Amino acid sequence: MRRSLAQNLVLALGLLVLAALVLLPFWWVASGSVKLPKEIIQRVPTMMPHSFTTQHFEKLFSSSDFPTYLVNSLLVALASTAATVALALPAAYAFFRMDFPGRAALYRAILLAYAFPGVVVLIPLYGLFSAAGLVDSRISLVIVNVAFALPFAIWMMRSFLASVPREIEEAALIDGAPVATILLRIMVPLIAPGIASVAVFAFIASWTEYLFASVLIVSDERRTIPVGFAGIIGQYQIDWGLLLAGATAATIPVVLLFALVGRWFVAGLTEGAVK
Amino acid sequence: MRNATLPFAFVAPALVFLAAVLGWPLLQAVWLSLQDVGVIGSQGRFVGLANYAAVLGDGRFWRALLRSLVWVAGNAAVQTLAALGAALILNQQFPGVRLARTWIILGWIVPTVVVVIIWRWLLSTSGGMINPLLVQAGVIDRPVGFFASRESAMTTLILINSWRWFPFTTLMLLAGLTRIPGELYEAARIDGAGAVKRFTRITWPLLQPTLLVLGVVGTLLSFNVFDVIWLLTAGGPAQATQTLPVLIYETAFKGYRLSEAAAVSVITSLLLMAFAVAATRAMAADEAER
Repeated sequence: MRRSLAQNLVLALGLLVLAALVLLPFWWVASGSVKLPKEIIQRVPTMMPHSFTTQHFEKLFSSSDFPTYLVNSLLVALASTAATVALALPAAYAFFRMDFPGRAALYRAILLAYAFPGVVVLIPLYGLFSAAGLVDSRISLVIVNVAFALPFAIWMMRSFLASVPREIEEAALIDGAPVATILLRIMVPLIAPGIASVAVFAFIASWTEYLFASVLIVSDERRTIPVGFAGIIGQYQIDWGLLLAGATAATIPVVLLFALVGRWFVAGLTEGAVK
Repeated sequence: MRNATLPFAFVAPALVFLAAVLGWPLLQAVWLSLQDVGVIGSQGRFVGLANYAAVLGDGRFWRALLRSLVWVAGNAAVQTLAALGAALILNQQFPGVRLARTWIILGWIVPTVVVVIIWRWLLSTSGGMINPLLVQAGVIDRPVGFFASRESAMTTLILINSWRWFPFTTLMLLAGLTRIPGELYEAARIDGAGAVKRFTRITWPLLQPTLLVLGVVGTLLSFNVFDVIWLLTAGGPAQATQTLPVLIYETAFKGYRLSEAAAVSVITSLLLMAFAVAATRAMAADEAER
């Protein structure tokens, strides 16, 4: 299909607006993080930094608790990701490739879990965790993150599993391979993009989780970025340079992750959406 | 030979886990709402439906419910419009389209606290970019405090949350758009239909199922948004942005009235469940008609 010149112009204009809307705020924050304090609060803001300093990043990594938060966030997110994939993969395989009584009802029950406000279970969960001695532990965050990521993760696997021809499994079954072997040796490599997109989703869900982390973690040395960083906002006299540097530093890990597997994540998100 | 219990062995870990971490606490929330527990960990007496009577007789609950409805409707309107525009653009072929489709989601993958810092700074009256831009464009006379007044606080929050979520909506709509067969557009073109007519006669009607799914999922997702509101306004000024999740959090962890908060959350869950069931019924009926 060819476009006329006018159509091309409209498209280019639309793209420009879209890019500005999504990227410009990030540009302002990232460029602000290397400006000198007096340029940051200048009355007429600058688009390109006129000054350059690494003082905000130095302060962030040497005299604030940010490095601790960063490590905690990474630990919790990686553990949550591994556990989500380990639970979602066999469940999704059973839901979408096997037949058993109650399948549809169970699947619906799992999706229903997505409809509940997290704050509803926050209060009783706090009680359960404190009875189990898990309050103020990073394990409690992993447990919660996995529970909230799991329903969506199972749903996301659907289209990836559906795209594998049944004949491949059937041939292996006739050869007498056990189902676990089929799942691990044949299905896993075929749906690797699906697993990657579920992993990215679980990682992001954990990386951005605030509500539970704000209540379940008490001591500063176990805080994750969303909560620890929110504390920094209130703790100092608003030090924009520090906050902008922190926002930039908290964005980099997900940008790196996305540069590697973002394509599949977007595919997983959109493929599943249609049905 | 397939073992009949094998599928259950596969779903059991996930199911047991969800039942323990979400299902069981949910039942406990119901039990808690029938007692009079104040601070976390303290003992309470059974008081029957007294908390429910108190909540339903309290204007704060109804005002928070109303704000939640405004919040959901505002987010739905802004996000759908922005996402529709973005999806129509990204549905075209141009160099770099795959990069654009991937990176549009950037605002959605960063922690809320980053979103909060970005917008607090951009909207601040000292050094923020938005005020000078609006003054230059002649929209406002002098810098305004976006979170200072009741109306502007809610509007600003809806716009910020929409900024965060519209890329997600865009990708969902894009999936719906790519499912529309290209031949339909070709045929319409041959019949002499213009761009507007092609949109209203082909794109819009064929996008309805996707929009319906999004309406349901989006409503549930945005209803439950807590962190961006809490971190930007904490429900203020003067409770103007106190939606139901914020009210629940505030009652439980600032007001130390756990049982009352549990009652509000049970009512909220019932409302959301009723909505989800009604919406899935409507979708099933809609599908049967096609």
